[in-house]
Amino acid sequence: MVFGLSRKKQIDEYEAEGEVERIYHEIRQTFRVSGINLIFRTWARYDKFFLVLWNSIRPNAGTRLFEDAADSVRAQAVLRAGRLDRLRVPANVSLGESQAYQLKAALDLYHYINPKLLVMASAVRLSLTGGRVRETIEGAKFLEMIERGVPEKMYPMEMISEDPKEERINELFADIRQVLNLPSINSDYRTLALWPDYLIEAWKRLRPMIGRQDYVEAAEEVRQVARDSAGRLPYPVISREQLEELGEDAGEITQITEKFEDILAPLIINIALFQLDWHDRRQLVLSPFPAAAR
Amino acid sequence: MTAGNLFSLLSRRRRDETTTMNSKGNRMEWRDYQAAQKVAELNGRFMSFAEEGRGLPILLLHGIPTWGYLWHRLIPALAETRRVLAPDLLGFGYSDKSDRFDRSIRCQTEMIATWMEATEMHGAAVVGHDIGGGIALRLATLYPHLVSHLCLMNSVCYDSWPIEMMLQFGHPEADRKMSASAAQTVLKQALKKGFSNSPNDGILEGLLAPYATEIGKRSLIRNAASLNTNQTTELTHLLPRIHAPALILWGEDDPFQPLKYGERLAWDIPKTRLIRIANARHFVMLDQPQEVERHLLVFLES
Repeated sequence: MVFGLSRKKQIDEYEAEGEVERIYHEIRQTFRVSGINLIFRTWARYDKFFLVLWNSIRPNAGTRLFEDAADSVRAQAVLRAGRLDRLRVPANVSLGESQAYQLKAALDLYHYINPKLLVMASAVRLSLTGGRVRETIEGAKFLEMIERGVPEKMYPMEMISEDPKEERINELFADIRQVLNLPSINSDYRTLALWPDYLIEAWKRLRPMIGRQDYVEAAEEVRQVARDSAGRLPYPVISREQLEELGEDAGEITQITEKFEDILAPLIINIALFQLDWHDRRQLVLSPFPAAAR
Repeated sequence: MTAGNLFSLLSRRRRDETTTMNSKGNRMEWRDYQAAQKVAELNGRFMSFAEEGRGLPILLLHGIPTWGYLWHRLIPALAETRRVLAPDLLGFGYSDKSDRFDRSIRCQTEMIATWMEATEMHGAAVVGHDIGGGIALRLATLYPHLVSHLCLMNSVCYDSWPIEMMLQFGHPEADRKMSASAAQTVLKQALKKGFSNSPNDGILEGLLAPYATEIGKRSLIRNAASLNTNQTTELTHLLPRIHAPALILWGEDDPFQPLKYGERLAWDIPKTRLIRIANARHFVMLDQPQEVERHLLVFLES
């Protein structure tokens, strides 16, 4: 294994069939998201695990508690990112009116979904490494379920190929892979590459910040908020024993999950930094797609 | 880059008869076009459009599987005397490509009419190609106050559409069976048949650029699935009532929308002139841009 992400090829949405296709549909509905992120596309290759995993994630993901947990992670990321240097990307790149409109919509999409993915990854990692996700339901708030379905104005999770035709984007992806030690480019960067001038400039400004003490601490705080919340989710998540009973490679899956938990926290900080170029901090701590009760 | 800069650049390139588009290298011309697009929100959807020039409005409506970039060679000349607007239809180009709305030409017509009303764009010259022509026909028949001049270029009409290739592309299974890159290959091969002179890779890449992603491909499949011949056949009895002067420019070797349909339109619509463009197929404005430009300018001045 390269570093923790799977050697197996991910399953893209258009390739999904049978149970995976069904689960992808349920993910879009339950997570309220317009596409399937890399973490799910990677997990989906372990089909027995993926089915049992989803059956344990789904009840949690539909709760107000889960949504609130993600909101806390997002708010913490905005607060911490607000203490870092501003990137000021838009001031240094020429974006048309339509491009800026769509780019902001795309940032909102990831600003919304990434904290949910991190809470989920933390919960799965916790459970697979012998920790315990709460099994008893306490109080009416735990029982409150949120609405399902992709929010009306959410940008579709459009992304370019990981192997793009344009040489400058290829070079950029290679640099992102190398600096972040990724074998696969996250959906976020592949979406932002729809506006290559923007992503090239954004990466140029972000790159020196990665690895800096204040940046690392910010990411660690975000990760910690997610871990605390993950331990308080109302329903149990797939355990190590269950995973081993399935006959899947428990070590590899645990490593993958740990890696995702690792990379999602700084990614959430990065998106918050990009967002701060466009929006007021007070606006950003709120969910871009608040969920009504079901 | 501002819209003004963009169109001067495109104009200069056009005059110099050079192309700087490059499928492998640096900046491509379609990206400049995209960068100049504006955006409007309509009924909860967003629509990207190019706007250039001042004066009486002229609306350029593209077909399937293209987007506003189709008109990039025509815009600079028209913008010298007119306010040119070239929207990407919903589900096309860089307009809204989310997955849950009607993309039929009936719905596209309503969206364009709403936009024209909201921006007080009354009495526009409307130019339509392919299904954009179907929309132009619906505007001229159902919203006649919005249309001062009508120009149809190798347009869908009557029961001339959908063509077999688009029917296959719009099959619900296409999304599952065809990757975005496979779809690009299929579409490039199909598009080439619509040109009299073999187009360069930059033009083809530009026309198909918005559909190179999985979301773009799916959106185009949804667009293809929404093609419905009933939405032009139902206009047949209204064509003789079109009061706007009309120009029909038809690439006479079009394998997709044969010339006979242009001739039938010229027969049914009053105050019409039909001009057959030689050495041109479906993409008449790219096959013979100067001839198309000349005829269109004369028509608009008439």
